[in-house]
Amino acid sequence: MSEKGQKPSPRIDEVNRPYWEAAKRYELLLQKCEECGYYRYPPGETCPSCLSDKLGWVKVSGRGSVYTWTVFHQVYHPAFKENVPYAVVAVELEEGPRIITNLADCKIEDIKVGMPVEVVFDDVTEEITLPKFRPTS
Amino acid sequence: MIARRYMHEYGLTNRQFGAVAVTFRKHASLNPIAQMRNPISIDDYENSRWIVEPLHLLDCCLVSDGGRALIVTSAERARNLKQSPVYIMGAGQGHPFNDPLQRQTMTVTGAMESGKTAFAMAGITPKDVDVCAIYDSFTFVVPMQLEDLGFCGKGEGGAFVEEGRIALGDELPTNTSGGLLSEVYIQGWVGTHEAVRQLRGDCGERQVPDAEVALVTSSGGVLSTHATLILRR
Repeated sequence: MSEKGQKPSPRIDEVNRPYWEAAKRYELLLQKCEECGYYRYPPGETCPSCLSDKLGWVKVSGRGSVYTWTVFHQVYHPAFKENVPYAVVAVELEEGPRIITNLADCKIEDIKVGMPVEVVFDDVTEEITLPKFRPTS
Repeated sequence: MIARRYMHEYGLTNRQFGAVAVTFRKHASLNPIAQMRNPISIDDYENSRWIVEPLHLLDCCLVSDGGRALIVTSAERARNLKQSPVYIMGAGQGHPFNDPLQRQTMTVTGAMESGKTAFAMAGITPKDVDVCAIYDSFTFVVPMQLEDLGFCGKGEGGAFVEEGRIALGDELPTNTSGGLLSEVYIQGWVGTHEAVRQLRGDCGERQVPDAEVALVTSSGGVLSTHATLILRR
């Protein structure tokens, strides 16, 4: 449980555990439907495309582009007080799904829709590694 | 996220979003029960603080407590009531992907489907609508829905609102009560209530002359669900 002043951590459960365990190994995994091939994100128990529950985990390229982004000015959680303004970005992966993330090594004023990015991994605590993205040339 | 993508795909600007806020506030200034009645200018809009960029404070709807009630009954029963009835001509629903992020396109709302259904049921077209009440949780969803309902082409909503065509006295008076942005935030009740008041001729200074047909929209989730209602007096 997060204390005031500590950023909330992702809640790891039986469904999403492979995602977070892979991130600790610096690998980006997505669920892929074994029936129809749909890549699903965020992790869940059924395929939103064909409703199958046969979802496997596959390693993906980690490459994508910025689909859209916002800049948070409002402090919605006290632990983010020192971080505002900060950008929250939706990256569209080459495999299709879009991931909500932050950019590493990129100023807010340099963010553009369509900008190519690749995954990097940020060990934020001993338990949690967050997939983030950085611009590629 | 959706607002930025909308700006990217169709070139909308913050000033166009601001035109929605300014117009609806002007309407609210004529509504004695509106929560926010002091007029604002486009400069006030641009100077209002960022909440989550590209949205300023004045892009966001109010926070309110309140209540409204509607009585729905048969036309036959309604004829014997004291208040003049308003008739439901058409209704439709449209529910795109629950998670807006994974939707194939972020910039089309469920209004496209719900509007088609409602217009077909009512047997009219957008040209026949006298007054609109569009769900305005944020400014930018107003031009987006006007496009999806067919009041203008896709991507033309920004110019449509900036030219003042949604203002009282113009082509398509919209959110004449001030809407969720300036009257009060009690979700779908606000638009439906104002449409009924307009069709009954109860709107005083903000009355649309001879308003016969009104269109109301409502939305839920993160533009995940949508409903359109067409009413007549």
